[in-house]
Amino acid sequence: MKKLLTGAFMAAMATGAQAEDVTLQLKWVTQAQFAGYYVAQAKGFYEEEGLNVTILPGGPDIAPEQVIAGGGADVIVDWMPAALAARERGLPLVNIAQPFKHGGLELTCLKDSGVASTADFADKTLGVWFYGNEYPFYGWMAKLGLATDGSAGGVTVLKQAFNVDALLQKQAACISVMTYNEYGQVIDAGITPDQLVTFNYHEEGVGIMEDGLYVMEDKLADAAFQETMVKFVRASMKGWKYAEANTDEAAQIVVDADETGAQTLDHQKYMMSEVAKLTAGSNGALDPADYAETVATLLAAVSAESPAITKEPEGMAYTLDITDKALAQ
Amino acid sequence: MSKTKENLIAVFGGTGLVVGFWLLVKLDIPSPFHYAALCLAFVFQAAWVEATVGLRRPIWARLCRIEAPIYFGLMVLLLWEGLVRSLGVAPVILPAPSAIAAQIATSLPTLWTDFAQTILKGAIPGFLIGAGAAFVVAIAIDRSPFLQRGLLPIGNFVAALPIVGLAPILVMWFGFDWQSKAAVVVVMVFFPILVNIVAGLQASERMQADLMATWGASYWQTLWKLRLPAAMPFIFNGLKIASTLALIGAIVAEFFGSPVYGMGFRISTEVGRLGLDMVWAEIAVAALAGTALYGAVSLIERWVTFWHPSQRH
Amino acid sequence: MSRALPVLSVLLGIVVIWYLASIWMNSTWVYDQAERAGTTISFAEMVPQTMDQERPLLPPPHQVGAELWKGLFGQAITSKRSLVYHAYVTFKGTMMGFGLGIIAGVLLAMAIVRFRVMDMSVMPWAIISQTVPIVALAPMIITVSSQMGIQGRDIPKAIIAAYLSFFPVLVSMVKGLRSPDQMQLDLLKTYGAGQGATFLKLRLPASMPYFFASLKVAIAASLVGTIVGELPTGAIEGLGARMLIGSQFGDPLIMWASLFAAAILAGLLIVAVGFVERFARRRMGVVG
Repeated sequence: MKKLLTGAFMAAMATGAQAEDVTLQLKWVTQAQFAGYYVAQAKGFYEEEGLNVTILPGGPDIAPEQVIAGGGADVIVDWMPAALAARERGLPLVNIAQPFKHGGLELTCLKDSGVASTADFADKTLGVWFYGNEYPFYGWMAKLGLATDGSAGGVTVLKQAFNVDALLQKQAACISVMTYNEYGQVIDAGITPDQLVTFNYHEEGVGIMEDGLYVMEDKLADAAFQETMVKFVRASMKGWKYAEANTDEAAQIVVDADETGAQTLDHQKYMMSEVAKLTAGSNGALDPADYAETVATLLAAVSAESPAITKEPEGMAYTLDITDKALAQ
Repeated sequence: MSKTKENLIAVFGGTGLVVGFWLLVKLDIPSPFHYAALCLAFVFQAAWVEATVGLRRPIWARLCRIEAPIYFGLMVLLLWEGLVRSLGVAPVILPAPSAIAAQIATSLPTLWTDFAQTILKGAIPGFLIGAGAAFVVAIAIDRSPFLQRGLLPIGNFVAALPIVGLAPILVMWFGFDWQSKAAVVVVMVFFPILVNIVAGLQASERMQADLMATWGASYWQTLWKLRLPAAMPFIFNGLKIASTLALIGAIVAEFFGSPVYGMGFRISTEVGRLGLDMVWAEIAVAALAGTALYGAVSLIERWVTFWHPSQRH
Repeated sequence: MSRALPVLSVLLGIVVIWYLASIWMNSTWVYDQAERAGTTISFAEMVPQTMDQERPLLPPPHQVGAELWKGLFGQAITSKRSLVYHAYVTFKGTMMGFGLGIIAGVLLAMAIVRFRVMDMSVMPWAIISQTVPIVALAPMIITVSSQMGIQGRDIPKAIIAAYLSFFPVLVSMVKGLRSPDQMQLDLLKTYGAGQGATFLKLRLPASMPYFFASLKVAIAASLVGTIVGELPTGAIEGLGARMLIGSQFGDPLIMWASLFAAAILAGLLIVAVGFVERFARRRMGVVG
């Protein structure tokens, strides 16, 4: 009874303090890739900051940039290349925090297919997702000097589905994988790591910044919105750090939040432990050196197939203000 | 007012609309007032046609029949253009028709490659294979009443199922190129066509069949001379339904893996890149292709079943 | 019951073919695994291994059946893991789209029968609208409706479903409203009935058989629309969303079970509409 009263009291307090509504649009479906936000939600970190956060999962036909442009979200999770592309197309998105220090994007190949190094890519079929993932891929190919139009001596590009069938059924020599998701699926499917050759984008010098938080530039001019975002980033980072330290609990929280009910705990545990490696070392603040690498990767391949950006981004593509304030306290 | 004048107004009055629309785009006038005035003109034009439709000589009436849908389409575009411009809708949400037209004009080669991949390699071969298979199976069923009783209820049921859901599975089986797209189309069109052919083959009257029998006609003669012609209206009904399903199947299948061209590929990647004008350009091509396919089936129908009452005008 | 035997034997045939096909399709994997392990495997050893793989190319019927059973009866129907719950979400979307489609179809049909110019200008576009693949339009419908301030995915989903289901209603209603012949129309004119009375007393009742006949097609179309609406648009809930997740995580059993759940739902909806149709016909004095 006492507990109930306290609960009611807390709720009254929360409404009394006028909880600020924040809508977060994710880049993809509910999974441990976004564990930090779900943990912050489930553990009440947002509530402690006086925020009322709604988390919207994404999907293959949802472009977070479009959702935020339409006013359907206040803040989105996005990859830097897509955000820069949107900026060049007249949708000024600003990075306010970068929970992912490292990228999980890799290209993995079956040794059977005769790929041992990047020199063997010629005349092979490579799988790419085309979900913002094609930008670094084309940048990389340009760097290697490989044509991507299917001509001899170049590579054939395949839009792979959201799973690893293309590799398992040998329709492609290599496919794109995230360390925390598809790579695990390949291993689960019975292929051992020594049967694979894996290339990490960052190690190949074509790294990009993955999951960051982005808002609209014009809204950021508003001091009240800035204040809300400071709280949001602080609580989210608290969620991330908690998830890093308690991966199994975080995985359970994600599975509980999944509305399709089709996610399995085992896979989310795997994903969470891998994601933790990517978020480790980030306190949320963006590292300008990473930003410079992303821009260099994108500018390396300015072509019709990869029109991410054609020139240095103009204006405020990222800001450190929010994280500075969030981390100060 | 003379009859000729009346006809001229009815048929060509709307030309003013076309010119007005073109001017608006050309002069870049954002005022909602102009759009409202043009819409009003359209309404008057429509009312005029409605009031005088019975009075016209056949040649004018036929012209009206062709023009009316064009005017209606133009009015929708006009409203769309007007709303987007006067409300200042962001192009990443809904691009204006003029922007889409510009996009179509500048990316014709891409649109053609996508069209060839999805329609010429995926939808049409799949449609033909599916229709052919349905035909063969229908004849096989027709020869065996037992199979007919067993397969027909199941076929009817399957025809109503959301077969689109099979797309990811078939892509997994048949690979990423057009073969898997054609396979999805085959499965999607097979059952509606089958059910219609079987129903059609039962459409000839008992008495006619008896007559054929008294003439000593064989099964194949009866089929060819009597039952197939009688089944044609049903068969074409099935083919028409299938022609639109074929496009849906070919495009959905590309969402689950494809080469780097094709209409479904372009739509899903351009949505991700905020290239909404390109998405709408693909939609326009899809609508055109769908209409052409449907129109082709209807034309063949008219040619094959000229004798049927539904074709008399 | 002369139909039961043939139907059952055809079903049995399908199951047998299915088993043979799953042995054939799943065998590649078994042989590959054996090769990787450096052993050879006989046919008799291979067959059992095709029956319970975790990621089969074609799961045999009993695997799908087990997954379906687990999804339908294995948990509380309010659980997010229950297929009943997801089928209900899809059912809700289907019914909303169905309702919207009926309203749109009937209203348009009335306007088309009343105004010649509507017939001339709108009818061709109604046909063209069906040739536009809805999957291409689905993401656009979702963005535009969220821009117009519509929250959630229910309404866009219903619009997508209605886009497919209004057409059969429209076509049948136009046919139905025009079905009274000249003699009947003349008779009403001699009674001094106006446009409104003719519509209410003659055209509308005459169109009812056509209307009910179109409902079966419309509900099936609405279900397809709902699933297409759920599939690519932010996999949240519903059978379409589960198919997507099954595909993404390479779990064919989830996909097949959702597909069969959708089939069962389709069957139930069609049977239900059939009952409504029969009831209505009896009420209208047509014994059918």
